[in-house]
Amino acid sequence: MRYVIAGYVVILTLLFLYAVQLAWRRRRLTRAVARATSAYPAPDAAPGRPA
Amino acid sequence: MTDLAPATGTRAPSAGTSDHPSDQPVSNTRVTPPPEQSARARTTERVIGVLALVGTAFTVWLGLWVTPPDKQQGDLVRLVYIHPGVAWVALYLAFGLAAVSSVLYLWPRTRSLFWDRLAAASVEVGVVFNVCTLVSGAIWGKPTWGVWWAWDARLTLTAVLLVLFLGYLALRRVPAEPEVRARRSAFVALFAVLDVPLVHFSVNWWNTLHQGATVLNPGLTLKIHGSMAWTLLLGFVAMTLAFVWMLLVRYRIGLLEDWLDANELDAALAERQSEGTRTPDAGGAPAAATAGVPGGTPVESAGVA
Repeated sequence: MRYVIAGYVVILTLLFLYAVQLAWRRRRLTRAVARATSAYPAPDAAPGRPA
Repeated sequence: MTDLAPATGTRAPSAGTSDHPSDQPVSNTRVTPPPEQSARARTTERVIGVLALVGTAFTVWLGLWVTPPDKQQGDLVRLVYIHPGVAWVALYLAFGLAAVSSVLYLWPRTRSLFWDRLAAASVEVGVVFNVCTLVSGAIWGKPTWGVWWAWDARLTLTAVLLVLFLGYLALRRVPAEPEVRARRSAFVALFAVLDVPLVHFSVNWWNTLHQGATVLNPGLTLKIHGSMAWTLLLGFVAMTLAFVWMLLVRYRIGLLEDWLDANELDAALAERQSEGTRTPDAGGAPAAATAGVPGGTPVESAGVA
């Protein structure tokens, strides 16, 4: 039975770790994209901009 | 798969007549965001994820505690509820989808980077499931055959499949234009997937240690019954749902990575513009008027490295 338990633990652990890594990668990239887009003021809203 | 919206991944349009960064008027640099994931897509993804978790939990419960031991294999038969499920995802779903996506990319009428991203996502997830297949097979092989590994036809061909698709993932990391990378990758995927039928029929064509197919055999005769059959089926469904969830997330990652690659320069220019226009030391002078000058001294004097 220990081989059976080992099989289940190894597969489920690998899949779980990969799923967590995917979620983390997506979160990091979403933040990077948000920084690259929303952090910049629109040209007509920027202070010091000539009329 | 509602969030798998086709996107070209090409560079965001910007004003100017030259492609050289210093010739781009920064005042007009606006970074076009990548396609948002709709609320419906997010909900679908969550539902699939929860169903995959619940399905896996039920498979483990039924497989370890409810189903009876086998006459010949005893408790070792319980590995059948999870090992064929991950093999099904790796060999048939993931690598099959990668092959179909590659064909659709190479076909001129359907050519889109959407198919390339889908193939890449499918292969990466498939490689993880392929590793799970080999590891769980070795764990099953040790008490059954007495060895962790044997150079048996099916085992060896499955390992070759893993190496081929690792090569595919390595090739994608070679710097190239998106279209060039997509074409190369599609050809490699189509070459690698030729190993799948060899893996499938290896137990019929050669004398192997590995047992014959329980479900996908030549006569499509189910060689397992009762609660064992239902648990096996549930294992297939749970692993399929887990694959779909991972594919959706991995596709989104590919989309965001491509967008960042394509817009890195525009984003950097926009950042310089916004920093320059926000800094009081700039004397209210529009950074746009000077940032286009090679060297960008006025912006740098405003404290932007």
